[in-house]
Amino acid sequence: MFSRLALRSVAARQSTPTALVARGSATEVSGLRDEKNFPRPVRGEPGKVRLGFIPEEWFQFFHAKTGVTGPYTFGVGLATYLFSKEIYVMEHEYYTGLSIFVMIYYASTKFGPKLAEFLDKEVDNVETNWNAGRLSTIKSLEDSIAGEKEAQWRAQGQELLIEAKKENVLLQLEAAYRERALTAYQEVKRRLDFQLEKTLLERRIAQKNMVDWIVANVTKAITPDQEKQAMDRCIADLAALAKN
Amino acid sequence: MMNNLFSIFDPSTNIFNLPLNWISTFIGLMFIPYSFWFIPNRHFMLWNFISNKLHNEFKTLLGPNSTSGSTFIFISLFFFIFFNNFLGLFPYIFTSTSHLNISLSLSLTLWLSFMLYGWINNTQHMFIHMIPQGTPMVLMPFMVLIETISNIIRPGTLAVRLTANMIAGHLLITLLSSTGINMPNYLLIILIFIQILLLILESAVSIIQAYVITILSTLYSSETN
Repeated sequence: MFSRLALRSVAARQSTPTALVARGSATEVSGLRDEKNFPRPVRGEPGKVRLGFIPEEWFQFFHAKTGVTGPYTFGVGLATYLFSKEIYVMEHEYYTGLSIFVMIYYASTKFGPKLAEFLDKEVDNVETNWNAGRLSTIKSLEDSIAGEKEAQWRAQGQELLIEAKKENVLLQLEAAYRERALTAYQEVKRRLDFQLEKTLLERRIAQKNMVDWIVANVTKAITPDQEKQAMDRCIADLAALAKN
Repeated sequence: MMNNLFSIFDPSTNIFNLPLNWISTFIGLMFIPYSFWFIPNRHFMLWNFISNKLHNEFKTLLGPNSTSGSTFIFISLFFFIFFNNFLGLFPYIFTSTSHLNISLSLSLTLWLSFMLYGWINNTQHMFIHMIPQGTPMVLMPFMVLIETISNIIRPGTLAVRLTANMIAGHLLITLLSSTGINMPNYLLIILIFIQILLLILESAVSIIQAYVITILSTLYSSETN
């Protein structure tokens, strides 16, 4: 009676995480139990009570015939009947009972919630402790999975790096090839230029030699007759020009 | 109906002269919590809390050489006496610890078993411990006499302390409430108020008496080493 009155009438509850731990641990996995014909028992809420100790079902039972105030009227009427007919004699035990009722009501409203809160905290502590090992293992496994993924990502990064390095090397090779091509071209041009120069030079020399030989021969072949004729012609041309 | 003031302590609920009120001794069993689910509920936590506190107290008293689990009997004794004391305050519930037959059977059994064990197995130790350290030689005979007498009356004191406290408390409450039968209504409030105070006292006394008897039994048991 102490437990029901003092602990349930003040916002009694079974914490819902309780049900989770009781049921939600890794027991679905085992498959050893016939779940359909022998279902696992589920932790339920305590039965609803009114005035601390009267079950709700009794009120529902009366509700159809007498409505909401029915059970209360019934209680009051029964009590009046018992008292007035002296079926229940109000002797010394009754006054003791009255005092006890007042005391317990006061204690349960004043200290009940605090006690309930304290006890609920303790229950939650127990639950967290039981779950702690499992949860910490799960967390460490998850952390290692994340670490593994990160390592894979890093490895991919390494691949990219290698690709970049390959490209780098290719670029360098390309540059070296171009450079060498340029050198080759320049060398070939130099040689061809040399040949050109040589040919030009030879031709010039030949030309010069030829001119000199022709002039020398012509000069040698000029007779004095020709010289005098050439002179007379020049003077006649000059006189004609002077007249114009 | 009360013949005299003490008739509340008479075992009077009977069927064919078989006194049924001693069944109230076992009502305390209904308050032991169930541990059906893995996660404890509030009732269980409260019970565990009190049991652990008591266990720590008794373990300190019993000393480091005590057997593991020797506190169990004392914790059960505490709860038994507490429930019988406290529930006797409620109307129509018989206080079984207000009778010497219950108290004496508890205390005498415990004391006798401790003493016989001590006298038979650790005789010298028991005789040595009768005299405290550092008493002058002149006082020795008197000390032995006094210690022996105090040891012999221990079961009596344990039992009678409990019984007398219970009788006194319940008697006072009964006396007070029996004046409420022929009292005008405006004085009833005062009566109820005084009764509430008395009941608070009695609840405290019930816890304290249970505790005292348990502690003393622990001490007596630890004397035998």
